[in-house]
Amino acid sequence: MSKQYLTTHTVDDAHLTDIFSLAVTNTQILSASGASSIKIHSTTSPEIPLVQTLTGAHKLGCHHIVTSRNGRVAASAGFGGEVKIWSISKSGEWVEEEMIVDGNKAGEIWAIALSEDGHFLASTTYDGRINVWDVVDGRKKIREYETKGSFGMCIDMSRDGRFTASGHENGGVYVFNNDTGRMLYSLPGLVKPVRTVAFSPAGTRLAAAGDARVIGLYDVQHGEQVANLTGHSAWIFSVDWSDNGEYLLSGAFDGKVKVWSIDQRTCVATHSETDKTLWCVKWLPKTGRSEAFATAGANRSISFYREATGG
Amino acid sequence: MDIDLLSDLLEENQSSFHSQLLQDLPNSRLTTAELPGAPGTSTGPSRVSTKRSALPSAPNRAGAVILKIENIFESIVECVMGDKKELVIQLKTRSKKAKDSEEDVNMELGRKSDIRRIKFPSKGPREAWRFGTGLASHSRAVTRSLGHWSGYYQKVVDMYYREPELFMKQGVVDRYVDDIAYTFGVNREALNVVAAAKGLIVGSLSTTRKDGSRTEYGSEPEVEHHSPTTNTAANRTQGMLVPKADDVESIDIGTAQWATFRTIAACEYWRHFRAGNGIIITAKGYPDIQTRQFLRLLSTSFPHIPIFALVDFDPDGIGIISTYKHGSKALAHETNLAVPSIQWLGIRSSDFLEDNTLGQGLLTLSKRDRNIAKKMLTRHDTDERDEEWRRELQMMLMLNMKAEIQIVGNEEKLGEWLDGKLRGSIHDADGDILMS
Repeated sequence: MSKQYLTTHTVDDAHLTDIFSLAVTNTQILSASGASSIKIHSTTSPEIPLVQTLTGAHKLGCHHIVTSRNGRVAASAGFGGEVKIWSISKSGEWVEEEMIVDGNKAGEIWAIALSEDGHFLASTTYDGRINVWDVVDGRKKIREYETKGSFGMCIDMSRDGRFTASGHENGGVYVFNNDTGRMLYSLPGLVKPVRTVAFSPAGTRLAAAGDARVIGLYDVQHGEQVANLTGHSAWIFSVDWSDNGEYLLSGAFDGKVKVWSIDQRTCVATHSETDKTLWCVKWLPKTGRSEAFATAGANRSISFYREATGG
Repeated sequence: MDIDLLSDLLEENQSSFHSQLLQDLPNSRLTTAELPGAPGTSTGPSRVSTKRSALPSAPNRAGAVILKIENIFESIVECVMGDKKELVIQLKTRSKKAKDSEEDVNMELGRKSDIRRIKFPSKGPREAWRFGTGLASHSRAVTRSLGHWSGYYQKVVDMYYREPELFMKQGVVDRYVDDIAYTFGVNREALNVVAAAKGLIVGSLSTTRKDGSRTEYGSEPEVEHHSPTTNTAANRTQGMLVPKADDVESIDIGTAQWATFRTIAACEYWRHFRAGNGIIITAKGYPDIQTRQFLRLLSTSFPHIPIFALVDFDPDGIGIISTYKHGSKALAHETNLAVPSIQWLGIRSSDFLEDNTLGQGLLTLSKRDRNIAKKMLTRHDTDERDEEWRRELQMMLMLNMKAEIQIVGNEEKLGEWLDGKLRGSIHDADGDILMS
């Protein structure tokens, strides 16, 4: 069975340079790029209008932006090593809170993730450590996990906040139990840089991908690999789970975005609107009966796709 | 063709700095410190001359420098002979910011220069050490400037090894020599202090020195095959040291017989440069001052010839081309070394990432690489001319990868790659290629 997705809109030249990261809420999409500003577009209107610009948020550019699942907190990490926390105000505008400075020596933070309620921030470092901060109570670092010293390239938190997963330059994938503060296990299979990890909505599966061009699926409870999703012919930079956990979205260096059926372990849709790098792909929260997603990357635009009904 | 651009630049610099410099002479700035009973003694310089008229007539630039140096030593002698309680050497400290070429030079100096006063006796041993190193550097500067008449040049590294216990680190010599040059409003060359030359050059080029000697940098096949000595042939095919730009009287390019062009990296394979005649220069990493001076001389003498840079895809590679194009941050006052017209041939991320068959030469960024990339992003934050470098630096950080030039293949493939790049870039028949 295959699916068909239609391009519904493209925000051309959303940024001056590569868009490296996207984050979504129920009503908005936030985008970060090599330029210094963060852009917020509304997804409730078909024209996807620009509703806010966080000017000069990161002087050297921003490589990661994340939102909490409840849509009330955002965090962004800049190339200068600084991390900023943002919160949504009552008028619907994003307001800067404070920066993460405790335990962020010499700007070593790279990838970041927020817990479902925005209470906790997790990050990787250049030397492979995983740090967790309490964003609400004093912005103090509360956890530090050690791995084998390989650059931490990506990170994700399960929605219930119990687990943190990280992917590393040497192909390592680690899962940590936040309640006990211990590493659960390291996952086998990938020997090349792991550039993206993502927990399924229920937290039972973990997807990991990178330069091996394969998406590894793992059972979170037992740490076993349950599937390999093959089909990409270039490095994979981003994966994202749909809200119901039935589909996985992936974006690659060659500009191809793929939709995978978890049940069938197969690719059900491929789009190549651009041949430039896709740095980030994101499902949009489901409204109505159709699935929709957004992509962004080296062509500096944000493209939106919606599933064709009747498929 | 008579080319002596550097001297002209220096003359202009000296005349424009003249009034500024006079105000900073120690005579007008001496102060008395409240140090009761402090002895006014010091180790004098090994040689002080008060017979300026006895000196032979000198080229204006060197003479001016010597005059400034002698004034400093005379003021020190006056302090010793008189009742002054302090000896002072004043140095302008170089600004860390690159000079904006559109600002007035005098205003620039007045606004951003910091005067550092090195005193003896002083409150602590560190200041005494600074005085000693400053004095020794001035002393060496006198010797070397006088050595101008004998054509004797002092390398910076030799200055260090002459007094290693005093200077302790090579960087100390570098800093003092540069500060002295900055105080006098000249570059290092005017003090007859040069960095050790390490650049190599080969190509369709010959130079005539001011002493009349002529040097061929090309390697003509007939000469190569019948050369009387193997060393000569080997030297020619592997490149010769870049000449001192100040020694060059004239440059000739594009001899008719010259049909073969060789890259140092591919000397055994790449014999035909399909884009036309050319010259290859390699600086072996960050370029030394002599290589940059010579390249600037080439670019100003033959402005119609395009100049390309080939560097690794890594933060140092961006740093190297930035040094050629904008000058070194540490030597921001030496604006006569920049070659703004230089073009970046590669290696860019698109040169290797689009080819899925990645081979040798792809590496992970080190911690040092990441730090350099961040610093360079900071430097280029307000320079829109280099937006492409900025993106490539961010690409390195996003990918956590760098690539050596060999990523495009072996010497044969490198030659093909260069042919393609140059045909796409060259509008004239000739071009220079710089390899890091």
